[in-house]
Order: sequence, then C-alpha cells, then structure tokens
Amino acid sequence: MLWNFQDIHLQAQAEAKAIDNSQALEAFRLKYLGKKGLVADIFASLGKAEAADKAAIGKGANDLRTLVESLIAEKSSGTISTKSAVELIDVTLPGTGTPLGHTHILTQTMNEIIAVFEGMGFVAIETPEIETEFHNFTGLNIPIDHPSRDAFDTFYLDAEDPTAKGRRLLLRSHTSPGQVRIMKAHKPPMAVIVLGRVYRPDAVDASHSFMFHQVEGLLVDEKAQFSQLKGLLTEFCRRFFGPKVIMRFRPHFFPFTEPSAEVDINAEVLGIQRKKWLEILGCGMVNPKVFDAVGYPKGKYKGFAFGMGVERMAMLKYGINDIRLFYENDVRFLKQF
Amino acid sequence: MTPKQLLCFQIKIMKLSLNWLKDYIDPKLSTNELTERLTMAGLEVESVETINGDTVLEMEITPNRPDCLNILGLAREIGSITGKTVINPKIKSHKIPHLKNLIQIENKKECSRYIGTLIKDVQIKNAPLEMKHRLTALGINAINNAVDITNFVLMEIGQPLHVFDFDKLVGGKIFVRRAKDGESIVTLDGIERKLDSSILVIADTQKPVAIAGIMGGRDTQITASTKNILLESAHFEMGIIRRACRSLGLRSDSSYRFERNVNFEGVLTGANRATDLLIAQTGGHLSRRDEISINAKSIATKIKVKIADIESLLGIAVKPVQAKTWLSRLGFKVTTSAGALTVTAPDNRADIQADVDVIEEIARMIGFDHIPLELPHVNMVNIVVDQGPREIKNKIRKVLMAGGVDEIITHNMINSKMLIKTKMPDIKYIRIFNPLNQDQELMRPSMLPSMLQVAVTNINRGQKDFRFFEIGKRYFLDGEKETVGILLSGRRSNDWRSSKKDAVEVFDLKGLVDRILESLGINAVYAPNSFAVLDAGCAASITLNGKYLGSFGKVDRAILNNWDIKNQDIYFAGIHLDEIYPLPRKTLKYQLSSEFPAIVRDVSLAVKKETPYKKIEETCIKHGGDILKSVNFIEQYLGDKIPAGTKGLVFSCQYQSNTRTLREDETAQVHERILQALIQDLGAIRR
Repeated sequence: MLWNFQDIHLQAQAEAKAIDNSQALEAFRLKYLGKKGLVADIFASLGKAEAADKAAIGKGANDLRTLVESLIAEKSSGTISTKSAVELIDVTLPGTGTPLGHTHILTQTMNEIIAVFEGMGFVAIETPEIETEFHNFTGLNIPIDHPSRDAFDTFYLDAEDPTAKGRRLLLRSHTSPGQVRIMKAHKPPMAVIVLGRVYRPDAVDASHSFMFHQVEGLLVDEKAQFSQLKGLLTEFCRRFFGPKVIMRFRPHFFPFTEPSAEVDINAEVLGIQRKKWLEILGCGMVNPKVFDAVGYPKGKYKGFAFGMGVERMAMLKYGINDIRLFYENDVRFLKQF
Repeated sequence: MTPKQLLCFQIKIMKLSLNWLKDYIDPKLSTNELTERLTMAGLEVESVETINGDTVLEMEITPNRPDCLNILGLAREIGSITGKTVINPKIKSHKIPHLKNLIQIENKKECSRYIGTLIKDVQIKNAPLEMKHRLTALGINAINNAVDITNFVLMEIGQPLHVFDFDKLVGGKIFVRRAKDGESIVTLDGIERKLDSSILVIADTQKPVAIAGIMGGRDTQITASTKNILLESAHFEMGIIRRACRSLGLRSDSSYRFERNVNFEGVLTGANRATDLLIAQTGGHLSRRDEISINAKSIATKIKVKIADIESLLGIAVKPVQAKTWLSRLGFKVTTSAGALTVTAPDNRADIQADVDVIEEIARMIGFDHIPLELPHVNMVNIVVDQGPREIKNKIRKVLMAGGVDEIITHNMINSKMLIKTKMPDIKYIRIFNPLNQDQELMRPSMLPSMLQVAVTNINRGQKDFRFFEIGKRYFLDGEKETVGILLSGRRSNDWRSSKKDAVEVFDLKGLVDRILESLGINAVYAPNSFAVLDAGCAASITLNGKYLGSFGKVDRAILNNWDIKNQDIYFAGIHLDEIYPLPRKTLKYQLSSEFPAIVRDVSLAVKKETPYKKIEETCIKHGGDILKSVNFIEQYLGDKIPAGTKGLVFSCQYQSNTRTLREDETAQVHERILQALIQDLGAIRR
C-alpha cells in the first residue's frame, strides 16, 4: 500500500485549523497518534510493504507524527479554548474544605510588637501573673503607702506571699515585675521583652478593663542613653504604625525610671479626630534605685525601659473603638482579623 | 467603680486660673503656647475651659511634684520655662505672744509641725467677690470669709489649713493623737464616720474635732456666730494620711496634698499668709500662737552632678553654664567646679534626692524633643531563655488555625456560680481579696466556664457554628498552669457538595488534638476515662508514659442545660501545656522511603464492641514482623448485619521492604498469621 503523504499532511493541517475545543483536539490526537490511529496504521503497513518503499514509509510516518504533535502543541498553547464542552464548571461557586481559623487580634498585635524588638536583638520572656509586692512595687521603687501607687490600684489574692509574712500575693498590675525577676536572676548586658496579662480594679467601660495585656522592654548595659531609647521607640512606631507616624516624648513620672517620658502619637496621621495627641506608651531610664533593689553594684549599669498596652495599640491601629470587643469573642469580630 | 475608688480619682486634676496666675507672673504667651510649653515640661494640660471670663487649665500633676499643686508653684515652674520673673505675695512675719500648752502632740512622727494661731473677735460673713471668683474658677465652693481664706491659701501656696470655732473646743486645747477605738466624728460633709486607732485625729479634751489632714468636724466648724478662731497649720506624715483616706473612703484637697507631702517650711508661711488675710477680712485681731516643731529644719542635701554623667545618660552635650542657668531658674542653688555641678534643691522639692533627679530637671529644660535619636547597641543577650513555651504555643496556634479554629481571649476572673453551673462545686481556687464585684471573685481553676460563656454569647446572637480555642492560664495556690482549651459546636463545615449538614462530633475534636500532638512530636495514649464535666460515654484522657496531658470529650448535657445551651452539643478538650513544656524535644532524622512496591491487604472483621481498635492495631504490629509497614483504619460498621454485641472494623495492612520486592507468598503468610492472631487473641470474626 502506498501512502500519499502530501495529501495526508494537507488534510491534517486543514483539520487542525478547524479545531476550536479541547474535545475536538483530543479526537484529532486519537485519529493520528492513538493506538489505532493513522501513524500506527502506517507503521503497521511496513510489514507488507515492498522493501524499496520501507524507508520512505517509515520516514513518512515519523514526519506525520512530528507534524501532528506540533499542530497539537500549537493549538494547546492558546489558539483554542481548552474548555470542556460537556463539563462547564461554575468557577464562582465556593471552594470547599475547612475554613481558615483566626488568631485573636491581641495575639497578632502582641506578636507584631514583639517581632520588631526581636528583630533588634531583644529576647521575649514570660513571667508569672501572680506576683509579690516586692516584684510589683517595692523593687520598682514604689513604696507602700506612697501616692505613686495610685496609678497602680491592684487586686490582692486571698493567699499569703510565701516570701513575706503577713503580705498577700497579688495579680501584677503591670508587666514591670518581670523586669525585677529577670534582673535578679541575670547579670547585664540584657535586652528583654516581657509580655502578658495584667490586672487593675478598673470598672469596665469602652476604654477600661480589669484585665488587659502589656508588652514591656528593658535594656541594661553600661552605656544605655536616653537618646537611644528615643531612637529605638521612634523606629518601633515607624514600623508598627507606618513611616509617616509623628510622635513626641513628653516628660512624665514613673517611680522606676528617671528621667521618665510618655510617648504620644499624632492622631491626625492615624485618621483619628478625637484628640490631637494620643498617649501610647511610657518609658524612661531605669532609676538607679531599681538597680539597688536587684543588687547590682552601684553606678555600674545604665538601662532603659518602656511599656505599652496591647489593647490600646490594637485599638489605634485597627480602629477598634471598644475594649470589651476583645474579650466578648463574637465570631464576627474574630473572623475579621 | 466603688465609691472609694471614685474618690481616689476625683481629685486627680489641678486647676490653674490664668487670672490668678497673673498675680505672680505674666508668661506673655497665648493660652495654646502656654499649654504646649507646660505639657512638654511634664505638666500635662488635659483640657482648657473658660469660667466667668477666666481661662482655667486642668492639669495632671504627677505624684513626684506636690510643689505644683498650687498656683504659686505653677508660677515658679512657668518662670523657669519662660525665664520670666515671679513676684511672690508679701507676707508679714508676725510677732505674736506665745500661748503655752495650747497644743499637745502625742504622735510626733506623724505630726512634725503644728502651728495654732488664735484670732479673736472676728466677724464671719461672705468673702470678697474677687476671692470667691478665684475659688469658683478652681471648682471650690465659697462658704464664708474664714473658710474661704484657708482654701485660698491652700490653692495659692499649697499649705492645707483648718479653722476651728475656738469657743467650741472643750478645754480650749488641741491634742494631736490617734483616735480611740469606738470614737466617731461627724465631718463637715455631715457624715458620721467611725474612727479607729489607725487614724490620726485632732481632738479637744473630750473628743476628736477633726480627722487630721483630711477633714474637720461639723461641731467645731465656723458659723455665722463664731467669735474666736483657731487657725491650724500643720505638717502630717504622708503614709498615715493616705492609709486613713483609704480606710475611711474619704479624700479632700488637703489630704491630697498631705499624701504627696507638703513643704515643712510652708507650714509657717501658710499660717502667716492666712493670719494676714483673716485679720484684714474678718476684722479680728491676733491674740496668741503656739507652735510645736519637731525637726526644726530639714537639712538641705547637696548633690554633686558630673557633667559627663548628664551627657552620657541623656546622649546630648550640655554646657555647665547653661545647666546652671536652668537649675537656678528652678530655684536650685548651684555652684560649678571642674566638670561638675553641686546643687541644693529648693525646700519644696523633696523629690530631688540624687543626681538622676537633677539630670531629669536638666532634660526637661533642654526639652525631650531636642534630645537626638540614636539606636542602641544591643549586645548579645547574656540570658539563655527557653523559647520552648512560646514556640510550642505558636505551633499550636498554627495547627488550630489550619483546623478552622478561632482563637479567643476570655476573662480569667470568674464567679463561683459559673463553677457550680459547670459541675465544679468543690474545685479549689484562689479567691480575689478585693474584687471589683462578685462577677469577678476568683481566678479560674478551669478554662471551661469562661469558654462556655463565650459559646453562650455567640449562640444568643444566632451564631451557632463555632470552633474556639484559648491558650490561657488556670490558677492554683501552687502556681499558674498554662492550658489550651478547645471548644467545638455546630455544623462541621459548609461543604455544599454534600446535602447532609453534619454536626461536629468527638472525632473532629480528636483530630485537632491528634494534629497538635503530631506537630509537637508526641505519641500520646488515649483511654476512656470519666470526668465530672464530660459525658460518661464520650470522654478520654490523654497520657504519655503515664503522665496526664489532658482530656477531651463531649460536655455533659446537664452542664449545657445549666448554661441554657439547648439544641446543640459542645465538645471540649483541655491540654496542659505545663506538662508538655518539659518533654524532651523530638529529634528529627531522615527515614529512608522504600523504593520497592508495597502490597496492601484490606481486612474486614467483627469484634466485641468493647474491644478498642488500638488493641487490634497492636496485635497486627506484634505479628507483622519486619515487613508490616503500617496499619490504616478505614471504617467502622455498627449496623445489624453482624452479630449482636459486635462492631465491624475495616482496615488495611501495608507490607513493604526497604531492600527488595516482596514475594506474594511471604506476604500472604504473614497476613494469615495476623488474622489468626486476631481471631484467637481477640475473638475476631472474619467478614
């Protein structure tokens, strides 16, 4: 049997030209390259062919295969729609599988804050919530019966402090007792972050809660400077709130730092109109009396510390207007973050 | 907020009348500029209001600056910020005949100075209009000329004063002593207050006539008929006043200042200023005075401040001359020597005790905004911190997020009713000694009640499908225990391809527990167990080498009824992280994946209902030799096509070797051995 390869080629090219869907393309492929396709037939005919024709037939079959393959490749690469004519799926139907769970926005905010400082070499540490008066107050230069305690109204527990007879254990009113614990246990240099829940007997309203979260930082070495504290916190605010943030350091008083400052950020930049300046954190150079309390040699070390409320940071950054939303845990709130 | 706490916060604010301020200084600044300058010097102006044409700044004065709790103190501060001069009021120093034994102080540590001045033949009437306006602008009610003068002097120079109707003091004497248990006093506000021996009082020969430093008594107050006045100007110790305020739930403008420490020197100045005004305005005449001063004069300490220390603490260059100017303006006496300043703080600045206190004053004067920005040189931290707990918690968060579980953060202060509703009446917990209210009376000993609370909140809002987890603490006398709580309820998922909307059940929860433990490399053992809070037939404990890691199961129906959760089941798991933290970390090592084909044989059996699948798996492994690679569960059948009391189990055994292709006959031999063992050891029936 002789094959008119020229006609076969022309025929294949014409057929390929007409193909406009993937089914037709598949049919085309089967017609030529399938197990019972034309190329296979041609090869099968080799057995009965004259010896003189065998080379030409073999070459013809190979050429045809190459041609059909290239036609298919050409078609598949875009000149036809590969849309299935039968199974047209609605791609707008929802995908299936377990929906994504969400970590709480406070966890996310806390991790976001910590990540900035971890990137700068600070180490994050968690310390207990149930504390002694020494760690929460006295070691931080907040004496008993001193008005500086007013800022730290505190929940006491129905349990005696095993380290101080007659004194009650308490729920830490800030994360700063962590500083005292860490300094008591370690020698400088150190750069640490303390984080977690704190408690104050405040009546609950849109901006107060008796339990909230703080993140606190402490750096102690022999050369810490107020200018470095300013630089560090400025960098932090730029990363957390964005490069446009405008901030100011305002003198303040904390018993455990001196000089002490509060940091305000310009509310207009955040798109909040309520007030021009919003207080976001407190900071200062560690008061030498704190170093005395933890037993560091006099005059050897310097340090700075800063602390911020996680709820407040999240409220400012994400425009959350009521602190109670964090603990109410309505799924519609949780799923937003 | 309790009434006691309300009082603590009531008098947080110092008001500054700009009209009054101009008696002593003209800052020549607009109100906005003045507000800004004060705030940036650490005297935060919280708001500005206009009262009767006067501008009044409401300021937050920090507890270290009691010297700024009066107009003259603020004038001095403004003087040092602006460089303008302060004109002090002219106060006469009176030569007064001494009245012996008018005053007796029993507790000299608690009252270190008391000046009693007797002014006779006074006429009590309204104070002049100007003085009334001054006081009203500061939010103080005008009462009568004598009382208004004491308030005026308090606000002008910060010395708390009190006036008694001298003729009503029984015995004509003043005793400063602790109250006796059982004594009481009706204070000026008309309230009877029970006293005890922790409270310092002013008494006549019979009874307390004032609570020292806090409030006078009604019986000895100045009335229209008062003829003779005893003016008290005293110094009380901070702590005793503060404790009394707390125990009485009573504060006043006077106690607010005593708690923060008044200036010892100001006691005499205050007495003299008030005496001047009383004589001028009541027409009375000065009779006699008695003074007791315990520590004659506080010795002002000299503080040496090295310029190098200022510069290295602040990170800015400081010129000694400039520093001297600033400090002098603040009323410090300053001498300079090579590289250092020696300073003496003014007598009203008890907060200045060490060189850092002086450095802070210099920093305020420089202006914090003028200190440059630098980045710290963070040294490699000298602390080996076990980051394990945080890593583990973050891992768990990731696993649960992928499992569709939302993280919640709940209140961990709960009430005992919540425990009773959750069938935990006898659980031990730590009670809060001073709770805000009974809703938050104790620290939770379990995660479940606060998590059920969140479930109820969401169910009540029509959100009945939820998967929650919380990583939080449970609190016990021997410490805080970190726990992961997981709570599932409602529909499993929104797979629209299946018409049936299945509710979640315990194996969904177990799957999450499995994945958590897998992510932590823990091969725990699950065993049926009974817990008060979990359904008896659907509860398991999680253990590792006999150590209890937690539990999971279906929350007991009675508990859900108590919480008013009616139409849905809730599944709860608790995993105790403190048991997991100390576990040795799983070391990872690559295991060769076999390149030879595996042979899989399905097995279908019926076994007694109480036979755990785990037993079957163990039997397979025991008899499977080297070539049994894994046993994989396929399904459970509980229908009636098998003998009663049995359950149908389908699983597969996978045989594979790492070194060769297994022969059909050797696999069949092992497989048959396994089946025989299952039949003989566990009474399994082939299906």
